[in-house]
Amino acid sequence: MTTHFITAEIDLQESPLEMQQAIEAELQKRGEPLRWAVTDVDVEAQTAQVEAIVTAADPVEA
Amino acid sequence: MKRPYTAVLIIPTGIAAEIGGYAGDGLPVARAIAQVVDCLITHPNVLNGAQLYWNLPNALYVEGYGLDQFAAGKWGLRPVHQNRVGLILDQAIEPELRLRQLQAADATRATLGLNLTDYIITDAPLGVELKTASSGATWGTIQNPDSLLRATEKLISKTGAEAIAVVARFPDDLGSEALQNYRQGQGVDPLAGAEAVISHLVVRTFKCPCAHAPALSPLALDPDLSPRSAAEELGYTFLPCVLVGLSRAPQFVTQGSDLAHPEELWASSVDAVILPASAFGGSAAFNFGDQNQSRSSPLIIAVQQNQTTMNVTPEMLNIKALSVGSYLEAVGAIAAHQSGIHPELLLKPAIAPLRHL
Repeated sequence: MTTHFITAEIDLQESPLEMQQAIEAELQKRGEPLRWAVTDVDVEAQTAQVEAIVTAADPVEA
Repeated sequence: MKRPYTAVLIIPTGIAAEIGGYAGDGLPVARAIAQVVDCLITHPNVLNGAQLYWNLPNALYVEGYGLDQFAAGKWGLRPVHQNRVGLILDQAIEPELRLRQLQAADATRATLGLNLTDYIITDAPLGVELKTASSGATWGTIQNPDSLLRATEKLISKTGAEAIAVVARFPDDLGSEALQNYRQGQGVDPLAGAEAVISHLVVRTFKCPCAHAPALSPLALDPDLSPRSAAEELGYTFLPCVLVGLSRAPQFVTQGSDLAHPEELWASSVDAVILPASAFGGSAAFNFGDQNQSRSSPLIIAVQQNQTTMNVTPEMLNIKALSVGSYLEAVGAIAAHQSGIHPELLLKPAIAPLRHL
């Protein structure tokens, strides 16, 4: 197993729960989410910046 | 007759929270809130003050990954009278520093009566690496997570450990600007993000309580040390608060995994959640803040006073929250909520008449 720091940009969703699901789905593409947080929101662009640590069986693209 | 009132206090780690971003300086807030609730659920970043800690009989010490699972309704919390705590030491810790950790652990047995199992040393150096992201938050990775998980598995299977304390060797980073700022009570805790990654790995894999204390070389005496960073410079280890917290940390339970105990707590038991107003970007905030869940939504309290490096407010994420200026107001809001008064009425006494739907 390896641990990786990654960032992602997610479109804002209607509800917090939908937002969480969208974040986890995006992170899943890069590994198994271990810890994440929305660290910035661009209200105009309706996007959120996410920073995360994911684990992977093999190295992933950072 | 009323049911017990349960509050969750979250001060995310590694984001320079003005209160709670340093050496256990969120503890006074936890003590105040614990006084007005039946049960307080909070996490190591709030309660850990290295050599300092405070026994709160109605507080539950829940690691962040477990707290997120609890907020999502996936895991419940089962209070315990005590846990057998197993200790994992990173192979990278030098012999003298290792002995300091072991003596601290023995001291908690002799002086506090804690129940510790024999310890284990990882079969490889964990390789902790620190990172500060562009947001200002600190994160971290470890090079040998499998070594940590092998040590945990062995400790649980061989000694029956029920909670896991990990001490990893962290880079000393002497002379860095981040360390200097931190010692002066400013900036982000450079270690916090990596610490959370270590405990998250253990909790995710083994569903048992876990917390982390870093092993670091002692620092030279600093006459300008900030009081809110001072708890970490009282001795050679940060371990006592971790062992104390874990000794009574609730066990995690999953739906249908075991016979239900009446004292178990689930997300639906939560009445109030208190967060810094600028730090609503975590998983627990999303889950507790979602108004569309079948369970009744808790009162979400956003504390403006507790500034962080983040700017992620409840409004940005469609989370309905009560905005208060300070933790003192939050304590009042909880007391009002508990007694059946809408807290907003006490914050904004000018009431508009009811309108026809």
